[in-house]
Amino acid sequence: MPDTPILQVENLSKFFPVQRGLFRRTVGHVKAVNDVTFTVNKGECVGLVGESGCGKTTVARCLLRLVEPDQGRILLHGEQQTFDIASASRKEMLDVRRQMQIIFQDPFSSLDPRWRVTDVIAEPLIAQKIGRAEASRRVLDILPTVGLGAHFADRFPHELSGGERQRVSIARALVVSPPLVVADEPVSALDVSVRSQIINLLLDLQSQMNLTYVFIAHDLSIVKHISHRIAVMYLGRLVEFGTTQQVFEECKHPYTKALLASVLIPDPTHREQSYVLEGEVPSPLNPPSGCHFSTRCPFAQEQCSAEEPDLRDMGNGHLVRCHFAEDLDLSEGVFALPLATPSASA
Amino acid sequence: MPDSQPILEVLDLHVHFKMLAGVVRAVDGVNFTVERGRCLGIVGESGCGKSVTARSILRLLHSSQTSGQILYHPDGDDEPIDLVNLDPRGDAIRAIRGKDIAMIFQEPMTSLTPVYTIGEQIMESIRQHQDLSEEESQELAISMLNKVGIPDAERRFADYPHQMSGGMRQRVMIAIALCCEPRVLIADEPTTALDVTIQAQILRLIRSLQQDLDMSVIMITHDLSVIAQLADFVVVMYLGQMAEKAPVVELFQNPKHPYTQALLRSIVRPDTPPREQLHSISGSVPDPRNAPSGCRFRNRCPSVHDRCLEDPPVVEFGPQHTATCWLYVDE
Ligand SMILES: Nc1ncnc2c1ncn2[C@@H]1O[C@H](COP(=O)(O)OP(=O)(O)OP(=O)(O)O)[C@@H](O)[C@H]1O
Ligand SMILES: Nc1ncnc2c1ncn2[C@@H]1O[C@H](COP(=O)(O)OP(=O)(O)OP(=O)(O)O)[C@@H](O)[C@H]1O
Ligand code: SF4
Ligand code: SF4
Ligand SMILES: [Mg+2]
Ligand SMILES: [Mg+2]
Repeated sequence: MPDTPILQVENLSKFFPVQRGLFRRTVGHVKAVNDVTFTVNKGECVGLVGESGCGKTTVARCLLRLVEPDQGRILLHGEQQTFDIASASRKEMLDVRRQMQIIFQDPFSSLDPRWRVTDVIAEPLIAQKIGRAEASRRVLDILPTVGLGAHFADRFPHELSGGERQRVSIARALVVSPPLVVADEPVSALDVSVRSQIINLLLDLQSQMNLTYVFIAHDLSIVKHISHRIAVMYLGRLVEFGTTQQVFEECKHPYTKALLASVLIPDPTHREQSYVLEGEVPSPLNPPSGCHFSTRCPFAQEQCSAEEPDLRDMGNGHLVRCHFAEDLDLSEGVFALPLATPSASA
Repeated sequence: MPDSQPILEVLDLHVHFKMLAGVVRAVDGVNFTVERGRCLGIVGESGCGKSVTARSILRLLHSSQTSGQILYHPDGDDEPIDLVNLDPRGDAIRAIRGKDIAMIFQEPMTSLTPVYTIGEQIMESIRQHQDLSEEESQELAISMLNKVGIPDAERRFADYPHQMSGGMRQRVMIAIALCCEPRVLIADEPTTALDVTIQAQILRLIRSLQQDLDMSVIMITHDLSVIAQLADFVVVMYLGQMAEKAPVVELFQNPKHPYTQALLRSIVRPDTPPREQLHSISGSVPDPRNAPSGCRFRNRCPSVHDRCLEDPPVVEFGPQHTATCWLYVDE
């Protein structure tokens, strides 16, 4: 696929003020997203991963201007025009929303309990000032696309299973036919047997409708399955970005390596891969100085806590934020720590 | 093997809830044995009855109708105790709860009390079962916090739950569960709410404590990877029924029940070809109040047959491997 950027995120930052006391005095800032840069090409899926609180949802919300970014540009190359979402006017944002929609993390909370399925799906159309009759017609058109029968149109959210609810939120995002879809943990709340249905649906729709995805998830196996390129975040920082091959097979950041190594392998005869990263994610209010990962990194040197590393290109667009990215040996041995083998019962 | 002695036997367990809208047969005919020093995994999707099974062992369900047997074999040659016969509010079960059989609950935040420090909460649990002085129980509490990997335990002792991260709170729950050195630890989704790196820490902790203390573990999860990494023996549940039961390697390599087979096929593995369609199970888990008669999996099963309208038989496939399914019975 030719690499035509559809979305360029440049130096994006979002700091939330932390307020305390009777007069809500600002005592500091959570650097939820800190100088994040990445590109999304037409027709690809970019995965965004990292532990809870690293800023994935905040990135997604900035992309849709559901929160105001503090710094940076978010360039959306639309069909006729390029927008900078970070500074777009209200009127421009209407156009932006026709080209980019979001599927939320929690389908339960993103659906109003008093709305019927048809109202939920039609809402983005109404926001685009499309008439009721036309909106209803388009809702009925989109339902089979996400595998729901027409009889679902009159149901309430509580009458749907988790998988059906998630199909409704996908329909709602796709009803304005946006070329770009941001999906924030679209399968995390689903049962195993339903999760694969939704992943298949997302893959199908992508090829049918030539969609571009930004796909956020904490399940690395799923991100690996669906993504062409992957961005890894830690404490608001982008620490590694590259193709799925580069990030999974040739990763150069110790944090990425640790994340990959803590994925549990669904095979009882392979219990040795598990690596346990020590310590916890530090508070984003007060991140460690220098490299934010220095407090947990097995390779940390003096320089690491003194100086923050830059995001550097290691070749072929493989970006890594580590002082020693060239020199580190992240081969299995360093990280391998065996879990005990299964005992044979009886 | 001489060392495979049962510590807990669950025999034909049924737990039903009478609701206005009908009877929820949350657990319907579950059988398994927990062996000393071993880990039994219970796996299944949301609502299949994992937590109800766990809670019924400790008699924590007051409004339910429970039948069957739950035999606890204490150390030594004492007669087994049938926990089903114990009064849920009586002294007998209280003496066992927390002391012999301890549990880590699904939501650590709701099971810790917000108004007491974590130190006070651990000491309270020690006080219930052990006759120790104030200093001794404080010492024990701090050593437990150390053991579960809480750095700076002496200082964290005075922290309130909200001052800790999710991973730390889960460690505190484990410390409380382990302070009386239980024979059986029931862990109900102990890592579901946690990040992958913290999940790996907690699972390793449970595994090593299991070995150090020669404890038995019942690990409850919806995640087959957790089962693969921790369990010695597995029970697969679907809508309150036991679909399959087998030693872990046998289950992963030679699954017999169509539900187990489909579950195993639908998980993404390191070698799953990228971006190809995944195997999936059609439909979704029905509301337990409208569970199908006969085999409860029949409206989603690719091998469904007329016979499946009747309750399927339990078929044996070798030592300790059974599946509840009509497929393997000649017509
Ligand atoms: N509206 C807000 N006000 C203040 N702080 C916020 C707000 N939204 C997010 N944060 C903080 O910003 C950080 C990043 O949060 P975010 O929700 O983006 O993380 P995430 O990567 O999506 O995590 P998760 O995996 O748990 O969904 C967190 O520390 C969070 O507490
Ligand atoms: N106290 C109760 N009264 C009535 N029904 C109940 C009660 N507790 C549980 N149930 C029902 O019993 C069934 C089994 O619930 P259980 O909590 O054991 O599921 P689970 O397998 O632990 O699911 P999850 O993975 O979501 O935790 C569910 O349908 C649930 O709604
Ligand atoms: S900069 Fe230092 S602390 Fe940070 S990841 Fe690299 S080696 Fe580790
Ligand atoms: S009993 Fe019938 S419906 Fe149930 S799992 Fe077996 S073949 Fe499928
Ligand atoms: Mg999020
Ligand atoms: Mg449960």
